Amino acid sequence: MNIKDRFYKLKRDLNRWSLLLLLILAVVAIPILTIGLKLFDGPGESWNHIVDYVLFDYLQNSFLLAIFCSIIVIVFGVTTAWLVSRFEFPFRKQLEWLLILPLSVPAYIMAYAYAGVFGYSGVFSNFMELVGVDSFRIEFMNIYGLSFVLSISLFPYVYVSCRTFFLAQATNLLEASRMLGISEFKSFFKLIFPLARPAVIAGLVLVLMEVLNDYGAASYYGVSTFTTGIFRSWFSLGEPETAIYLSAILLIIVFGLILFEKWQRRNLNFTSAKSSKQNYNSRLKPKMSNQIWFSIICFVPVFLGFILPVVQLVIWVKQTLEKVWNVEFISITLESFGIAFLTASVTVLVALLLLFFTKWNKIELLKTTSKLGVLGYAIPGIIIAIGVLIPSLYLDKWLIERNITSKLILNATLIALVYAYVVRFLAVAYQPLESSSLKIDRSLSDSSKVLGKGNFRTFFKIEFPLIRTGLLSAFILVFIDILKELPLTLIMKPYDVNTLAVKAFEYASDEMVSSAALPSLLIILTALIPAIFLNKLLLKNASNT
Amino acid sequence: MQATLNISNLSKSYDQGKVKALDNISFFVKKGDICAVVGESGSGKTTLIRLIAGLEELDNGEILIKDQLVASIKKNTAPEKRDVGMVFQEYALFPHLSVLENVIYGIKKSKTKKDVALETLDLVGLKGFEKRYPHELSGGQQQRVALARALAPNPSVLILDEPFSNLDAMMRHRLRNEVFNIIKKTGVTAIFVTHDTQDALAVADEILILQNGRLVQKDEASALYKKPQSIYVASLFGNTVQLNKGLQTAFKCPLKEDCCHAIRNENLTVNQDCDYVSEAEILKRTFLGTHSQLLLKLDNGEHLTVVTNEPVLGNTIKIGFNSKDVLAFDE
Repeated sequence: MNIKDRFYKLKRDLNRWSLLLLLILAVVAIPILTIGLKLFDGPGESWNHIVDYVLFDYLQNSFLLAIFCSIIVIVFGVTTAWLVSRFEFPFRKQLEWLLILPLSVPAYIMAYAYAGVFGYSGVFSNFMELVGVDSFRIEFMNIYGLSFVLSISLFPYVYVSCRTFFLAQATNLLEASRMLGISEFKSFFKLIFPLARPAVIAGLVLVLMEVLNDYGAASYYGVSTFTTGIFRSWFSLGEPETAIYLSAILLIIVFGLILFEKWQRRNLNFTSAKSSKQNYNSRLKPKMSNQIWFSIICFVPVFLGFILPVVQLVIWVKQTLEKVWNVEFISITLESFGIAFLTASVTVLVALLLLFFTKWNKIELLKTTSKLGVLGYAIPGIIIAIGVLIPSLYLDKWLIERNITSKLILNATLIALVYAYVVRFLAVAYQPLESSSLKIDRSLSDSSKVLGKGNFRTFFKIEFPLIRTGLLSAFILVFIDILKELPLTLIMKPYDVNTLAVKAFEYASDEMVSSAALPSLLIILTALIPAIFLNKLLLKNASNT
Repeated sequence: MQATLNISNLSKSYDQGKVKALDNISFFVKKGDICAVVGESGSGKTTLIRLIAGLEELDNGEILIKDQLVASIKKNTAPEKRDVGMVFQEYALFPHLSVLENVIYGIKKSKTKKDVALETLDLVGLKGFEKRYPHELSGGQQQRVALARALAPNPSVLILDEPFSNLDAMMRHRLRNEVFNIIKKTGVTAIFVTHDTQDALAVADEILILQNGRLVQKDEASALYKKPQSIYVASLFGNTVQLNKGLQTAFKCPLKEDCCHAIRNENLTVNQDCDYVSEAEILKRTFLGTHSQLLLKLDNGEHLTVVTNEPVLGNTIKIGFNSKDVLAFDE
């Protein structure tokens, strides 16, 4: 095709949806572009000091955390996923969804709870006293403890992605392997584990992104990571430039992770071979002693990742309820829920627009580019916060200088906070919407168009009624994520607004960790909704495959 | 007679031009005709109808419906403005709408909407099914609702994408005749895609053969069958044996060298006198109900598979054909 024809084609295919799509992408890309552009300003004064003395620590700690967490989440995630999807044992059904519950405990809350469990008057020392070993104590607030709390709250990501794989695909292959005379145990290592690699890595990449994103747990345990380093550079050293440079390095690591995940998926696409329909009906029933072992193995992560921290929090709540439960707390709860509700609504709307503008746009290149709009979830909240903070400060300054306004209208206001949240959580809303819209046969919207209805009417009459479940799950997932979010909220929240997560963090930072229990418990209880919801969705999907 | 659908130099490729789906296709369909598009998977059939419907954009060429330019490199009329009806392979009935609501969906005149829909449902034999939902209907009934829905807005061109592929053989034959009787009754110009040549032969006024995105032949059904222009077309319409050098030697039938020759399986005779004959040893017999399949070894060692409904005794037979039945194609 010659250049003239290409031009005609572009002119023909360029519609208003392409332009609106570009607009959304541009708005979502601003924080990242800002970081990129600010790099040209050069680093701050302390940069050299940081490079010489602490950068290696940040790198080493973040790297060690990544390694430790990877090992723990793979051991917990893959083993439990394999057991519940392949064997029948007592309480299997209950454990199957209980194993998702640790996801409802944010890592920083897990960190507070475990600090308590292993603290002087915690559950662990009480237990040790009970068994007569009162001098034994475990020092928990270090990088190993941090690895443990991060892993135990994040392993369900690996569990969920592996279980989906095992339920959908493994049975046929295993039966074939068994028929060829290979034992169940050997088949797992020779056949299933290598095949499950993309599922393991997909879950693992999510875990690592959360590990890199964590601020609350690392700062509470006093472990220096990139995220805590960025915070310190900006707020303690007062050097945004240095914070930006550190953010850029972190961004490169995150993009490396994304590329790695994409690359490994491309190389291992054999796992997308036809899935088997009959699956968990054909679970094996091992002998009773093994069954009991399997129950215990699956119970351990549930106990460590949910029951133990929740028990610790409940004990604290009982001790501190009178002090913490007051009008201020109720107003913080309402504010927190209000912000989550407002932001989840806006995020779902933007995700919906992104999805359908992409669909209605006819320029192929833009269709591919639109995926960039949902990269925010991979980018640590703190980087997005900085990326939003800088342009909003500039804009406010510009407006004040021109006497258009006399006070800040973006920076430290709800607008900037909601905007940052939308950028960060767009993918959370986009994915359920996309998957529910993909489930609608393409020919349904095609036939509506052939029958004379344009994009809008097709959307309202055909597509919208069919993606309502997707909309609801998108809303709930974003709602909970915002409720749990800490680093971004800490930086972006207006002065007069507070959230449960920030309140819990403030209590913990002020050496009043027991008072953090009530807001923490409230977050966990709310977050339980999608944990249960996610499980139901998973089972439904597995039975549909 | 006036052409309702006119297509010239139509090309379309995917993956930034790497995969050519359609390559310079030109043809027209006369008003009221039924045109079948036949070809193997990947031959470009579906791309062709999606381009006609406006569901995709062409790379080159022009599409005219009732002499109106609807698609070119500079113009692309949206599907909702093309005056085209379409019956999808999976029917694409809206699951949350009743049968009547499905049929009403595309009708524009608001006052008579319901009457038109009821009339069309009556036409397809679904009177009384108005309040049912798609999941409450059988495959054949869903097919008829899809047809009614496509016909109700009275389109200039009706497109049917593999309309019978989801039905079992018995239902398929019955419904095929019913559907095309209805289409003929309405007088709409129809273009339907199929990989089943029997469907095409049975109902189409003209058949269009696609191979690797190219139009290889367009003709009436009988002409296509009798005078296929390539071995590909010939083999689409029944078992065909290509007469290679070895077979020509075995049958002692020297044929022109610059041509490709073939013989239809039904024109091979067993133990009968004809122009070219060869002795053959039966290596394997496969009983297929109404007929048998024989794997033969000819005089010169060449192998040949034939299907016959003649009773065959013994281990050797005489196999042959007449020169008038030999099909010749340019290489």
